[in-house]
Amino acid sequence: MSKRLVWLSATSVTVWLAGAAPLRAHHSAAAIYDEGKTVTVQGMVTKIEWTNPHVFIHVDAKETTGQVVSWSFEGASPIGLYRDGVHKDSLKVGDTVTVVGVPARSVEHLAEIRTITFADGRKVFDRAGKP
Amino acid sequence: MTRTVAAALMSTFVVSISVHAQWPTGPPAGVVKTPASAERAPAPRTKDGKPDLSGVWQPERNRPCPPDGCRDLQTGEQFFDIAWGVKGGLPYQPWAADLVKKRISQNGTSDPNARCLPTGIVRYHTFPLLKKIVQVPGLLVILNERDSLYRQIMMDGRQPLPREVELPSPMGYSTGKWDGDTLVVESTGFTDDLWLDQHGSPLTSGGRIVERFRRVSFAKLEIEITVDDPKAYTAPWSTKLNQFLVPDTELLDYVCLENEKDVQHFH
Repeated sequence: MSKRLVWLSATSVTVWLAGAAPLRAHHSAAAIYDEGKTVTVQGMVTKIEWTNPHVFIHVDAKETTGQVVSWSFEGASPIGLYRDGVHKDSLKVGDTVTVVGVPARSVEHLAEIRTITFADGRKVFDRAGKP
Repeated sequence: MTRTVAAALMSTFVVSISVHAQWPTGPPAGVVKTPASAERAPAPRTKDGKPDLSGVWQPERNRPCPPDGCRDLQTGEQFFDIAWGVKGGLPYQPWAADLVKKRISQNGTSDPNARCLPTGIVRYHTFPLLKKIVQVPGLLVILNERDSLYRQIMMDGRQPLPREVELPSPMGYSTGKWDGDTLVVESTGFTDDLWLDQHGSPLTSGGRIVERFRRVSFAKLEIEITVDDPKAYTAPWSTKLNQFLVPDTELLDYVCLENEKDVQHFH
C-alpha cells in the first residue's frame, strides 16, 4: 500500500464532530446524493472510469425479476484514492462485487460509493477510519 | 546551520516507503520524516539569507471525516467556510450576506469550483490538493495539481497594480517583498465574483488581498490573508491558513474537466 507522509502538528488533529456535512472537495455531495439513504447492489463490474474529478465504477446487477440493471457508482478522485492506497487495478472488469452506496436523489441507478466488497470478503473503497 | 540540522535529521531517521508502479511515490531512501523533528527544525534559507518557502505543501485538513470515511479528499474547515476561526464572522455587505445564504441553500450548485473553473488564490490555499512552491531570485512560483495551474509572485521590485485592471484574472496579479522573515504579497486585478469558499463568500473585481507567508518551521507554513474588498465587505478581514510540508511525494495532475459528469445531476 502506498502511503504518503504529511507532517502535521498535533494541534491540527481534531476529533470527529457529529453532524458535519458530507465531504467532497469538488462539489457538495448534497447537490446530487441523498445522504439519508443507502443502497446495496451485487453484480459484475462492466466498466471502470479511472478519471478526474471522480472515478466511476459501472456494475450490472440482476434484479429479482431477472432483469439486468446497469448501475453507475461514483467514487473519490484518482489522486485521493492513489494516495490512500487504492489503485486502478484494485478491481477489474468482470469482478463480482457488492457495492454499498448512497443513491442520487433524482437520477436512477446512480450512487456514491461507500464500500465495494469482493465475493471473498475483501474490501476496496472502504474509507472508514481513513483520512 | 539549516543544512546541518537537516543532514543530522536525515542520518537519524529513516522511514521505508512501499512503492507502487508510478514514480511520485516517495523520496530517495534515507530522507528524514518524523513529525516531531520536522516541527522543531528551523525553516531552510536561501543564499541571501531569506527563508526558503520551496517545497510541496498541503493545506491543513482539520475537518474530520464522517465515521464511514471522507467521500473524497479530506479538507480543512476553511475550504468550506473561510470565516472559520474569524471572530464574529465575515463583515459582509447586506447583499453579500444574502448571496451567501442563497448559495448555501442551493448546496453550492453554482460554485465555479464544481464547474471546474479557476477559483482564485484563496481557494487554492484551501483546496485539498498539493501545491509546489518554487522560490528563485526575483520570483516565487506556485504550481498546483488542480488543472496544472501556476501562479507567479513577482519579487523583482515592481509595484502592485491598481485594484481593477484591463485584463483581470482569477489569480490576479501578485507582487511580493520581504518584511524580515515574512514574505508579504499583494494581489489585485481579480475577475468579478470569485468564491472564497464553498459557502460562496464573494470576492469582487475591486478586491485586494494581502498574504503574509511565514515558514515557521521546516514543516509548517503559515499564510495570513487579509481581504480588503469594500464592495463585498464593510471592513477588511484576516484569517490564517496553515500549510504542511509533504516530503515524500510529487505533484500529480488533476484535470477537473477530464470526465466531469456531476453538474448535469445538480438540482
